[in-house]
Amino acid sequence: MSHRIVQLQAVLLLACGLLAVRLAHLQLLRGAHFRRLAEQNRLRLIPEPPPRGLITDRQGRILASNQTIFRVALVPQDLEEASAVFANVSALVGRPAQQLQREYAIQRSLPFLPATIVASVPKDVALQLEQERWRWPGLLVKPETVRRYPRGESAAHLLGYLSQPTAEQWPRLKSYGVHPQQLVGRMGVERMFDDVLRGRAGGVMVEVNHRGRQVRVIGRREPEAGAPVRLTIDAELQALIEQSFGTQPGAGVVLNPTTGEVLAIASRPAFAPEAFAVSEASAIRRYLNDSTAPLMNRAAVGAYQPGSIMKLVTAAAALEQHLINPGTTYACPGSLTIGDRAFHCWNLDGHGPLTLPEALMQSCNVYFMQIGRRVGLAKLRAALDAMGLGRRTGWLLEEHTGHLPKRRLTEGEVALLAIGQGEILVTALQEAVIASAIANRGSLIEPWVVKAVADRPMTQRAPSHRVRWATETFEAIEAGMRRVVSDPAGTGHRAMSAHISVAGKTGTAQTHLAGRPHGWFVGFCPVEQPRVALALVAEHGGSGGDLPAAIAKAICEYVAATDL
Amino acid sequence: MTNLSRAVGRLLDWPLVGAGLGLVLISSLAMSSAASTVDPTLTFRHTIWILLGLATSLLLAHTSTYRWSQAALVVYGVSLILLVLVPLVGTMRLGATRWLSLFGLSLQPVELAKLATIWLLSHYLAGQPQPLRLRPFVISLGLASAPAGLVFLQPDLGSATVFGAIWWGLVWVAGAPRKFMSWLAGLGLALLPLGWHLLKDYQRDRLLVFVNPHVDPLGAGYTVIQSTIAIGSGQLWGRGWFAGTQNQLNFLPERHSDFLFSVIGEEWGFFGCLVVLATFAVLLLRMARIALDTAEPQGRLFAIGIVVWIAYQAFVNMGMVMGLLPVVGVPLPFLSYGGSSMVLLWSALGLLQSIRRSTVL
Repeated sequence: MSHRIVQLQAVLLLACGLLAVRLAHLQLLRGAHFRRLAEQNRLRLIPEPPPRGLITDRQGRILASNQTIFRVALVPQDLEEASAVFANVSALVGRPAQQLQREYAIQRSLPFLPATIVASVPKDVALQLEQERWRWPGLLVKPETVRRYPRGESAAHLLGYLSQPTAEQWPRLKSYGVHPQQLVGRMGVERMFDDVLRGRAGGVMVEVNHRGRQVRVIGRREPEAGAPVRLTIDAELQALIEQSFGTQPGAGVVLNPTTGEVLAIASRPAFAPEAFAVSEASAIRRYLNDSTAPLMNRAAVGAYQPGSIMKLVTAAAALEQHLINPGTTYACPGSLTIGDRAFHCWNLDGHGPLTLPEALMQSCNVYFMQIGRRVGLAKLRAALDAMGLGRRTGWLLEEHTGHLPKRRLTEGEVALLAIGQGEILVTALQEAVIASAIANRGSLIEPWVVKAVADRPMTQRAPSHRVRWATETFEAIEAGMRRVVSDPAGTGHRAMSAHISVAGKTGTAQTHLAGRPHGWFVGFCPVEQPRVALALVAEHGGSGGDLPAAIAKAICEYVAATDL
Repeated sequence: MTNLSRAVGRLLDWPLVGAGLGLVLISSLAMSSAASTVDPTLTFRHTIWILLGLATSLLLAHTSTYRWSQAALVVYGVSLILLVLVPLVGTMRLGATRWLSLFGLSLQPVELAKLATIWLLSHYLAGQPQPLRLRPFVISLGLASAPAGLVFLQPDLGSATVFGAIWWGLVWVAGAPRKFMSWLAGLGLALLPLGWHLLKDYQRDRLLVFVNPHVDPLGAGYTVIQSTIAIGSGQLWGRGWFAGTQNQLNFLPERHSDFLFSVIGEEWGFFGCLVVLATFAVLLLRMARIALDTAEPQGRLFAIGIVVWIAYQAFVNMGMVMGLLPVVGVPLPFLSYGGSSMVLLWSALGLLQSIRRSTVL
């Protein structure tokens, strides 16, 4: 049967050929693919996130740094005696067990993924937990480097916060070597200067075996720390304003009227940026659901009716058109009738005859409605526009442009516009710029907040616009503002200080909530050589002459005592 | 000179010896790399087994042992007894009991049973008239099925099929009518669903992941995925001796035994694999040559049995590590680690030399 042996030989060669073809397919045709797979098998990149750059105030006080925190987490699949673990952790951490259980229920996802139950515990508690950990399978204490904001809520809106990148941000960030869990700036300076602050992630390339255990280190790139950002704000002044507001919602902006540097920009209520850094879920939920909107930066985004602080512009417009001079008197009988409607002065008894400084000092509505009507809508609007209202100030973060009326107004509406009521909205930032322009005799500065990036000073931009008022106009306005504070009958007398001369103007803008107007104070000090210009608004906070004027006084006295 | 060279040529079939030595040389080199992270003493033990095999081979080459039919029956009987003993006193490894411990050595009776079955069947079938009748066809099937069944129960599906392949090759060359073969093939296909029920769960998993290894990439599909990656990543010239990452970093399971070919593929590339394939081709074709040259029906059948044994195992092993065939535990002849296998393969080679000697003399 030798032919069957020959057939067998043929089958044998055929089998050899088949194997050779398969080898060629695997090793030659698809070799590169399998080589890549083999490399992926053995190589692991362990990212080392870079320390984020510091944010400091103008004096170098730290506003944002980094810290190691300890998270307490539970691994669902390893958890055995859940209730005992909750009870023990509760005792050590000092939080009710129910709260921990609720947090666990919210946080748990996949059985092997640790679910955080306490976002951050102090080091000594972490050590205690770590010692007891062997008794409670599934309990985990994870150290992690997170952003630290040593001043708590202070300047929160300016600093912003960090969070995981959004789906839109991610493709761009990925090309910079950001890994998906890395937090990036999501608001404020943290966001605006994220590229600078972030630094460059390093990493270790390790070779691992089939169990994922490290066999040797193949390469390492040191992470490059982020560069520091130095702000123009003064942390102490910032804190002073924030504390002065207390629980009152509102905003305050303090500028250097010569340079445009923002010395303080406060918004209340605020939030703790650290809550986002440590992903403290309950706090974040509270911020998002809070009807007082603590995440909103009221100083730049909050647009309010200005009320009487607008009278400064109305007065200047009338002076510029020579419709009045500082000595011109108008009588205030307590109301002004336009058409068939009576517009009341806040002083229903009437102020009697008033000159301009007196009218400013007493903030007489009838006086300014009268001169506003004489100026007319077109010129009044031009004057408001010249002060930068209805436009961005050039602030580098998010801001509201405010609003100026574009349509034709009725005579009554024009009169209201002259006293900052009706169809007009401004921000505290815009008002601080106006106060600066009065203080510096006409420069409409752009507020800027970054003094230096990576120790290189930022070049300051030249003022974009000038307000071309006559010197006499400035002097008349300033004289009025001075009397607002210095005269015992002035609406802003609470801002009067024995240590420094203050010029200002109060505003009390009527709102839809009867009896709860927005209180304003704009001004500058010292009057002779202004070093700061400020604008303060208390949201539904009553008269501008009360809290805002008092805060202005505190600011001015701080300025008098400090070399800013 | 001519006389001398003829005398040397008569002594042994040198190409056959060369191919065998070539395979064990490649095996030793690959083993030293594969074993370095498993158990460094393996290489040494492997070499001892090779030497032992060579000695047995030389010894058997100068006898006519293959002709002793009573001896064949005895060895067959002994191997069956050993196979029965395996599940009773054997050593459990990797979920199967395949080894017997004897004087501190682990022996695999299945290797002896393969040789014994070839030996016995060659005697039995050589005595039958051609074309083969139904009765000897069925009896020979029974003789092969006995060890196959015992091995299947170990459980060792791969080795059980080796007996089937050997029997198939032997009755084919012994002149079994084509219709017998096709009937049996038809019957086998019809009984396939029944056979599926006899398989263990892990065996079914292996057959299923053969269809798509990515069903269970970390479980049953893991070995074949890692093995294909290893071979493929070798590309043309390989990653170098001791430089295969799949091998050195433990991604390849069982790389000193069933998956040694993957190590060769990874470290020596397409080139190295072709050398192995070519060496096998030379080895097997020389063996077939011996079968063709001998006039003795029993010697011829014996040689064919050895050829089918080695060829089938080599094909199934290489096919499985390349993902062409399901993963069934079949060692690669002359290359995989395994003392029993190594010694008995060399014994078979020695017996073939003695068959050749009888034709040359």
